Amino acid sequence: MTVNVNRRRLLAGLAAALMAPPLLAAEARTTVRVLTSYPDAVVSRFESAFEAAHPGYRLQFVWRMPHDAQPYLEAPGQNGVDVYWSASPRVFSALARSGRLQKLALDTAGLPDRLGNAPLADPDGYYRCTEMAGYGFAVNPGALAGLPVPADWPDLADPRYAGRIALPIPARVGFAPPMLEIVLQAWGWQAGWAMWSEIAGNAVLLDRNSTFVTDEVASGRLPVGLSIDFFVASAIANGVPVAFVYPRHGGINPAQVAIPAAAPNPEGGRAFAQFVLSEAGQRILGHPDIRKLPVRPAVYAELPSGYYNPFTAASLGAFDYDGDSARSRLALSAALFEQVFVADHAEHSALWRRLHAAEAAGKQVAGARRALAAVPLTEAAAAEPALRALFQGRLEGSAAEPVGKVERTWRAAAAALRGEADSILTGVAA
Amino acid sequence: MIPSRLLGGLAALSIVAGAALAEDFTVADGGRDAYSQPFAGLSDPERDRFFRGRSLFRQSWVVSPAKDTLVDGLGPLYNRLACISCHARNGRGNAPDRPGERMQTMLLRLSVPGIGRHGGPLPHPAYGDQFNEEGIPGVPGEGRAETSWSETEVTLAGGEVVRLRRPTFSFSELAYGPLDDVLVSPRIGQPVFGMGLLDAVSGEELERMAAEAKADGVGGRVNRVWDAGAGRAAAGRLGYKANMPNLRQQIAGAMLGDLGITSPLFGAQNCTPAQTACRQAPDGGHPELTGAQLDDMEFYLAHLAVPERRRVDDPQVRQGERLFAGIGCTACHRPLVVTGEHPKYPRLAQQAFAPYSDLLLHDLGEGLADHRPDFLANGREWRTAPLWGIGLAELIGERVGYLHDGRARTLLEAVVWHGGEAAPAQARFVALGPEQRAALLAFLGSL
Repeated sequence: MTVNVNRRRLLAGLAAALMAPPLLAAEARTTVRVLTSYPDAVVSRFESAFEAAHPGYRLQFVWRMPHDAQPYLEAPGQNGVDVYWSASPRVFSALARSGRLQKLALDTAGLPDRLGNAPLADPDGYYRCTEMAGYGFAVNPGALAGLPVPADWPDLADPRYAGRIALPIPARVGFAPPMLEIVLQAWGWQAGWAMWSEIAGNAVLLDRNSTFVTDEVASGRLPVGLSIDFFVASAIANGVPVAFVYPRHGGINPAQVAIPAAAPNPEGGRAFAQFVLSEAGQRILGHPDIRKLPVRPAVYAELPSGYYNPFTAASLGAFDYDGDSARSRLALSAALFEQVFVADHAEHSALWRRLHAAEAAGKQVAGARRALAAVPLTEAAAAEPALRALFQGRLEGSAAEPVGKVERTWRAAAAALRGEADSILTGVAA
Repeated sequence: MIPSRLLGGLAALSIVAGAALAEDFTVADGGRDAYSQPFAGLSDPERDRFFRGRSLFRQSWVVSPAKDTLVDGLGPLYNRLACISCHARNGRGNAPDRPGERMQTMLLRLSVPGIGRHGGPLPHPAYGDQFNEEGIPGVPGEGRAETSWSETEVTLAGGEVVRLRRPTFSFSELAYGPLDDVLVSPRIGQPVFGMGLLDAVSGEELERMAAEAKADGVGGRVNRVWDAGAGRAAAGRLGYKANMPNLRQQIAGAMLGDLGITSPLFGAQNCTPAQTACRQAPDGGHPELTGAQLDDMEFYLAHLAVPERRRVDDPQVRQGERLFAGIGCTACHRPLVVTGEHPKYPRLAQQAFAPYSDLLLHDLGEGLADHRPDFLANGREWRTAPLWGIGLAELIGERVGYLHDGRARTLLEAVVWHGGEAAPAQARFVALGPEQRAALLAFLGSL
């Protein structure tokens, strides 16, 4: 039994001090329990607008990050959740595969099923994308000090960016893992990791629950930061003097909505999901404190001038990234990045600076570059189901997973590669 | 922080002997982030701490048991999921406008006649000292509170009519029996910047301000409240009734009352004996908010900068500033206050700053009375609301209310509501010509 059943009892009471007799008991409303990981700026606005549009329902939000939401929805009775609404494609996919969702069955007129290569709806009809966020670069033009504005990922490997890029750590910051895969898909495994190695060498790493990329870039402490667009777009909408660059090779992270199989109030859940997808719901995404990308193309005409329209960009090839095919490798890539570039970041970064200096001096250091740019895992090995299974449970926000044997091996191998690079660089310096 | 021309006009400068002007505590930001900036000059470790505190202030809390063990323990009874829910962009809340609308940024304090432990309000035996509409799954929320409004009109000099609305509250779906003979006091979320400076005003300074002779029969007294950390009575500084002795207790009290999160200061869950499911619900640790987390939140709120004034050279603003003092507003809304010692955050010590408040209790008349005593504060008394930053309120929160219950939709309405000790000043305001009133409001807009 859930709370909403209890609440149907109407027990009118009278508060003496500030009450106005006669008391009119309010009509009971049906509770719709929404499981979400959205911040209050999003939740409160949808709550207010939905309850105004549907006075017969009252929303109860239960907040959980995706790694905590999945077991919550796998528990018996699915904890009475009527609708799951979050930006975690992996959880939606896993829930659908395990039979824990029911068909969404909403009116989807005016809602495309794809954006470029990115699907916006589950082909089996269990969940649908409600909004999107794109990846790119936060830039403080005033702090660039002559540096060019980066237009695509390889630009960030430029030695002039050393120590000047804010990089949220993929294994610890929820939105960050798809950035890795955008580059790996566009440039391939080897060249993609080589690029990440060099970007990581240039970067200042940001952890979860610390400063935001926008804090660092807006303050001018760092002129460039890797980010998801809405943090930056919201800052811009609120007057912060930063810009956002969507790279030529872009990618989106979709948020979805679904109805759990055991939802006690599936009609209420559907009413909420339909509202989120409606024109009224999609318009809320344009609020300066939210700034997500609507999935209903018609809404863009009503958004502020200059609002990024991914449907227009996709028609120009900006979203060839296929998040669905990258999904099963996200956690593994993030863990690899952690061990190879983050765990010994100071050393990694110092070697890249030495390498860049040696190259600028015309030294023969190709071997050092090869060693520093390598990762101790092949693409084929990364595709092994047994290896991927080790990281399957690591979802957005699950920062503190214990390091396993495989990861220790990666870290040791990365240290050996750095040692090789160090020897070469020391040799040419002598 | 305080313009020299303002200080030049303040004969009270003698009281700031030895106090520095708090220039590092303001931020020249007139945008929607103006309430969210740190003090200038924080060290890197201090910045890290500030941002950790910010994360906690913005954190939506999680129902236990959970994997996110650092932020679990919501409820079992609560009002909202996060601190930021009631203080959007660190600003003020509002009251529900339409029938059936929930209290998103507002809550109702409850008590019954009598005096509780340590001299504070006596909690309702079944519902406690705050109406928690929400319960975690399996725990019935306490019920629903509705707001309705009645309006009256006040005509100002020159013929302008101001519509004043007064709230009444009703309860439904009560899960723990009737709410008989209960005293109710509504509260909207307050802005949270500059709280370190308010926290640093000494009890002696409060008493000194209270003892000062003031015109118009204005008094002002210090609330004496319970300091849970020290285990003794102390001067109240924070809260609508100055019922909180310090920032740390203000945070811990709100964490427990609004979110149901226990802390080193308040270790017991907010369940009354009648709330069986609440008492049996899982918790998020003992306490749920650790001492280190409370430290970070306290640091964050203590180091949120105050927006600098804007348009200070605008002739209309300067005229309004003179009128604000001239009609008697500054008797309570003091433009100059000094801090005392602050061992925890020494940079806050011996500073002169401009909160436009004396942090004292004043009788504001029957119109604003809640008839609910809170330590020494009677039902007509309220702490003078700090007015700093108030000119940005409607930019930062697209929907804001003024006064303790958000009844005032504009600053004009808020001024007209003043009564009691403020009645003479209010009467002078009402009698001002339209141009002068506009100037005074322009001054408030510059704060």
